[in-house]
Amino acid sequence: MRLEVLATTRSPKPAVTSSLLTRRQILKAGLAVTGLGFVTGCRNKSGKSVHRIAVPLQGMTAEFMQLWVRGAQAHPAIKNGLATFTVFDGRMDALTQANQFDTIITQRYDAIIFIPVDVQAGVGPATQAKAAGIPMIGSNTLLADRSLYVSYIGSESVISGEYVAHGVIDRLGGKGNVVVLEGLIGQSAQVERRQGINKVLAQSPNIKVLETKSANWSRAEAQSLMENWLTSHGNTINGVISHNDEMALGAIEAMKARGIDFATHPVGGIDGLTDALEAVKRGEMSTTLQDANAQAQGSIDLALKVLIGPSYKPMSDIWNQYPGQLSWDDGKKTEYLVPWTPVTGENVDRLLAIRRAG
Amino acid sequence: MSTSTKQMGRAGARSRTLGSLGQLFARYGIVIALGLIVLALSVLSDNFLTSGNLTNVLRQVSINGILAVGMTFVILTGGIDLSIGSVLALTGMVGASLVVGSKPHSPILAILAALAVGVVAGACSGIFIAWVRLPAFVVTLGMLSAVRGLTLIYSQGMPISNLSSGFKFLGQGTFLGIPVSVVLFGATALAAWVVLAYTVYGRRVYAVGGNMRSAHTCGINVRGIIFSVYALMGLLSALAGVTLTARTTAALPQAGVAYELDAIAAVVIGGTSLTGGIGGIPLTVVGVLIIGLLNNGLDLLGISSYYQQVIKGLMIVAAVLIDKARHADAA
Repeated sequence: MRLEVLATTRSPKPAVTSSLLTRRQILKAGLAVTGLGFVTGCRNKSGKSVHRIAVPLQGMTAEFMQLWVRGAQAHPAIKNGLATFTVFDGRMDALTQANQFDTIITQRYDAIIFIPVDVQAGVGPATQAKAAGIPMIGSNTLLADRSLYVSYIGSESVISGEYVAHGVIDRLGGKGNVVVLEGLIGQSAQVERRQGINKVLAQSPNIKVLETKSANWSRAEAQSLMENWLTSHGNTINGVISHNDEMALGAIEAMKARGIDFATHPVGGIDGLTDALEAVKRGEMSTTLQDANAQAQGSIDLALKVLIGPSYKPMSDIWNQYPGQLSWDDGKKTEYLVPWTPVTGENVDRLLAIRRAG
Repeated sequence: MSTSTKQMGRAGARSRTLGSLGQLFARYGIVIALGLIVLALSVLSDNFLTSGNLTNVLRQVSINGILAVGMTFVILTGGIDLSIGSVLALTGMVGASLVVGSKPHSPILAILAALAVGVVAGACSGIFIAWVRLPAFVVTLGMLSAVRGLTLIYSQGMPISNLSSGFKFLGQGTFLGIPVSVVLFGATALAAWVVLAYTVYGRRVYAVGGNMRSAHTCGINVRGIIFSVYALMGLLSALAGVTLTARTTAALPQAGVAYELDAIAAVVIGGTSLTGGIGGIPLTVVGVLIIGLLNNGLDLLGISSYYQQVIKGLMIVAAVLIDKARHADAA
């Protein structure tokens, strides 16, 4: 059992057995070589060549990306050795990701599933990959130029912004003062979530936004910021709209310290992180789950469809998970949108159980 | 070269003619700046001078404060430690991992384990800097990356939450009405001040930073002193790590990114010379407070954080300018 580390751009050696490795071992070995990617694939016992998929993604420090990889590893085609995938950790840096594309191209991967760090900066490397004839599937984050994709599977960020704003504003009965915690300014998730939130705010004349500021997706920063807002606005803040769960959780800690009642002061986040699901269970916040598993498994099915051809039938059961909202349609569509799942008191136990089982 | 020497000479002459007033400003300018910031914020915001808000400010600066105290020791020897944000994340993660689950360990054990990991991490840097004699910048830059990687390996990139309430006390509890994190910062700063100003060890730290060769000639164990400040920095990074973890009630793998910069900024704003030998804890605390008050004040006033960064940058450069003038004075 040995792991191949993709540290060079030389032609690939045969991929090595790692199916016996646990996820934990793979992760450990992979992350030890800061961000150069790791092989989870193997050559079939029969010696048949496997489909090698490269997955350049944003950064393995984000919980969502962890869940995405976990979902991909659970895909039947990966489990039975029909395909392998290699994660390239972009470390939230567009330049790192561009360099990794050079590696992917020289290593002649069969397909790429791309989760760009930046929607604009990703276009250049993706164009190179297309020129090199490597088909590309998009997942999670939509590139600025979608003509580079064969197809894309993700969830619409703008809609999540609408969900979080609605969640908070409806609980307030459409009337009151809110503060907005924004993500890292300029990132597509921040820009699009803001769009969705602003759309709802524009339709809510009796909601007053007291403050809008970035806490850079960070729980610790949001906690300090919320403490300061509670000082300057006191009890006039009725609700908190947050661009992600991390910051919402930070705000919750600040509010707890002031003894604020979450039943009358709603807090809303986005992503459905494990901590947030638990907070929903405790009645402290609302959130909207982005289905990392469906995005990951769906993108692998789409990649295999391209590689194997029309005879390929999707192997993941995610296509039956959202009847009427998400269907395979022979893998011919250029865009598949995975619905968001608003997390409520009713479904939170089930969602937590799925998360723990994963 | 001759022109620059001449210019320096002239600058020295000029500041000498300014005399005691200039010296006073060079020495306490930063305290005056702190006073002005407090005054301005009191006028501009009704909520600023409330005990609740001031407690918030102290709680918010306590993490950076603990780090800056350690960084003062390091910088006094003429060194630098860039790895503290990563050490903070690793130690917070180690501490948190021991106080979760159905059978959590005692919070004391978790804290001691985290502190031990911090000391080991600091000692690793210290060995390479003191005995292998590699530049501190390079060694700790390496540690910044390596320790962050270890944090991700240890945590598998996932946060650890649901910490036992005993552990959370560190970040959320109060002691005699003062938040525990503030007490920790205060105690750390006080102890560090006493050590630096009144003990033999403290004088040796200054001596090593002031002139390594003459310190060696005087029989000071220069390498031992250098090693010790990095080990101490590791210890304090760990203290900050467990405090931050308790405060946010979760250990996050990406915690503490770029915290070294705020700690260095506080030390430099406090007038500690980056070349070593000059400076001290009280003014570092002033530097910490200035950064914290700017963050707090601009939040209270609803001013964009973009300006905050510009102001912090200008203050750092101004502090170094003052430091330079003081050097010219001494020359």
